[in-house]
Amino acid sequence: MIEASALRKRFGDVLAVADVSFTAADGAVTGILGPNGAGKSTALRMLGGLVVPDAGCARIDGIDPRVAPSAARARIGILPDARGLYVRLTARENVRYFGELCGLHGPALERHIDELFRWLELAPLADRRVDGFSQGERMKVAIARAVVHAPQNVVLDEPTNGLDVMSIRSLRTFVRELGARGHAVLFSSHVMSEVATLCDRVVIVAAGRVVANGTPEELRTRAGCDSLEDAFVALTTEPVSDVATELEA
Amino acid sequence: MSPLVIVARKELVDGCRDRRAVLSLLVFPLVGPVLVSTLLSTLVERATVERTVTLPVLGMAHAPALVAHLEAEGIVVVEGPSSPVDVVRSGASEAVLVVGADYPAALREGRRARLQLVVDESREGARPAQLKIRRALANYGRTVGALRLLSRGVSPELAEGIVTEEVDLATPEARGAVLLNFVPMFALMAAVFGGMHLASDLTAGERERGSLEPLLFTPVSRRALVLGKWLAALAFAASNVVLTLGCTAFAMSRVPLERFGMAARLSVGDVLLMLGVLLPLAMFTSALQLLVASFARTVKEAQVSLSLLTFAPMLPALFLSFEPLRPTPLVAMIPVLGQQSLLGGLLRGEVAEPSVYFACAASCIAFGALALLVTARLFASERVVYGR
Repeated sequence: MIEASALRKRFGDVLAVADVSFTAADGAVTGILGPNGAGKSTALRMLGGLVVPDAGCARIDGIDPRVAPSAARARIGILPDARGLYVRLTARENVRYFGELCGLHGPALERHIDELFRWLELAPLADRRVDGFSQGERMKVAIARAVVHAPQNVVLDEPTNGLDVMSIRSLRTFVRELGARGHAVLFSSHVMSEVATLCDRVVIVAAGRVVANGTPEELRTRAGCDSLEDAFVALTTEPVSDVATELEA
Repeated sequence: MSPLVIVARKELVDGCRDRRAVLSLLVFPLVGPVLVSTLLSTLVERATVERTVTLPVLGMAHAPALVAHLEAEGIVVVEGPSSPVDVVRSGASEAVLVVGADYPAALREGRRARLQLVVDESREGARPAQLKIRRALANYGRTVGALRLLSRGVSPELAEGIVTEEVDLATPEARGAVLLNFVPMFALMAAVFGGMHLASDLTAGERERGSLEPLLFTPVSRRALVLGKWLAALAFAASNVVLTLGCTAFAMSRVPLERFGMAARLSVGDVLLMLGVLLPLAMFTSALQLLVASFARTVKEAQVSLSLLTFAPMLPALFLSFEPLRPTPLVAMIPVLGQQSLLGGLLRGEVAEPSVYFACAASCIAFGALALLVTARLFASERVVYGR
C-alpha cells in the first residue's frame, strides 16, 4: 500500500507540490491524473525517497522512505519519467543489473527475468543490445527493470507515453494483471480514456494539489459530466468554470 | 555478491563495449613512448655523427703536424679528393681542407701559411661538423703562433687580449635528459586522463541518458554506488598507467641511452616503483573526476569542467619537465607535482627516501577518500536527481 499524506515541496520560488494526499490500495490500480507541471513527478520522487518533502510524509507499506530508504525502495518499483537504458547492454543485462542491485542473483533471477520478458512479450529480444530497440520495446525493458524485484507496490509514471496502439494494449493488460495479482499499482497519465478503463480509483492533481479523489464513476457524477475527460477539465479548472457559471447566471 | 562489485562489474562491461573509451585506452599509451623514443633516437644519431667528423684533406703530405693535431681533436682525416668543390657541393663531405704546396715553406719561414677550407654555408646539417673543424684549425693556428712567440722570448699571453671559455649547455646529453623528463609526464597523463571518460560517463552521462533516476530508486546504498563507479574509473586509469609504463619501458630499451651516460634501461623494479607512485595518483584523480562530473548535467558539461580541472596540475608538471624539482616530503604531498618529481628523480637514477614515497601515496589516498566521501554525500541528497 502506498500512502501520501499532505506532501509539500518547494524549489526556490516554485511550489512544486502544495498539498498532495492519496492512498493506493493493494489489489487495485490507482490513477494519478494531472496536466503537465501539476507536480506528479515530484510527488512520485518523494515516494521513492529521492526528494525529501518539506512537510507531510510518504509511506510504502507503512515504511517512511526518509527513515529507511533501502527498506522502502525494496518494497516499491518505480518507473520514473526518466527511463534511460544502458544502450550497450542487452535487455537481459539491463534488467539483471537492477535485479542484482535489489539483492537477487543466480538461476532464480534468470527465471524471474524470463517470466517478466514473456509477460511483456520481450522474450525474442532478450539477448539483443537495446541500442536498436523501438520506443515501445525500450519502455517494456524499463518496466521490467522497475519491477524485477517483484515489489508489492508499483509506480508507473506515464508508461504509455509515445507508444503505438499495440504496445499500449499489452501494457494495459500487464497493469491490470499486476492489480489482479494483489499489487498496489499507481499509474500516472494524462490520457483520460486510459485511466477510465484501467483504474479503480482516480486522483486528480492540479497545481500541486489534489482536486478530486474517487472512482471514475464518482468523479463523473461530481463534475456533472458524462465523460471523465470533461470531468477532468471541469475539476482542474474549477475557479474558471465557477466564473463562467456565474456569468451565465 | 556485494553491491559495490555489481556496480563496478556492470560499469566495466559497459565501458569495455564503448568503442571510443577502449580506443583511447589503447592508443594513448602508445603516443608518449613512440614520441620520446623517436626524438631520442634522432638525438642519439645526431650526437654520433657529430663525434665522428671526417675531413678529407688535399695535400696531406705537406702538413703532417696539422693532420696529427686534427686527429688529436677527434677528427678523422682522410686523403682528399682531386675535386673538392664537387664533393662538398654534392654533400658527400661537410668540408674539404686544401693544403697548398707553399704551406711548409711559409710555416718554416714564420710567415702566415695559407689553408683553404671548402664549405657550403647553405647546408644546415653540415654546420656542427664545420664548427668543429674551424675550431680545431683555429686552435692549431694559435698553437703555432704561441710557439713562434715563445721562441723569440715573448709570452704568448701578450698576443691574446682576452680568453673566452665557452660553457655549452646544449650538449646532446642535456637535451636527451630534458626529453627523458617527458616520460614521467606521459605516465602521469595516463593516470590523470585514463579514467576521465568513464568518470564523466558514469555520472553526468548517466544523468543525461535518464538512467540515473531509475538507478537511484533501487535499494542499493549510495556509498556502494559511488565506490563501484569509482572502482570502474580507477580500473581504466590504472590499466592506462600500466600500458603506458610498459610501452615506455619497451621503447626505452630500444633507444641507446647509454650514449648519454644515463641509466640505459628501466629495470622491472623501476617500473614497479613508478607504478607504486602512480596508482595512488590514479585513485585520487578518478575520485576527484567522479565528484566534479557528478555536478554536471551533460557529458559535455562534465568534460569542460574536467579538462579545466586537469589542466591546472598539468602546468607545474609541464614546467617541471624542464626544471626538475627536488622531491621533499612537502612537494611529494602535492598531487601530480609530487609524482612528477619522484618519477623524474627515478629516471635520473635518484631514489628518494621511503618516507617521501609514503607521503606521496598517503596524501593522494587521503584526498581521494575525501572526494569519494563528498560524492557519496551528494548522491544521498536530492541534488543528485537534478544535477549541479
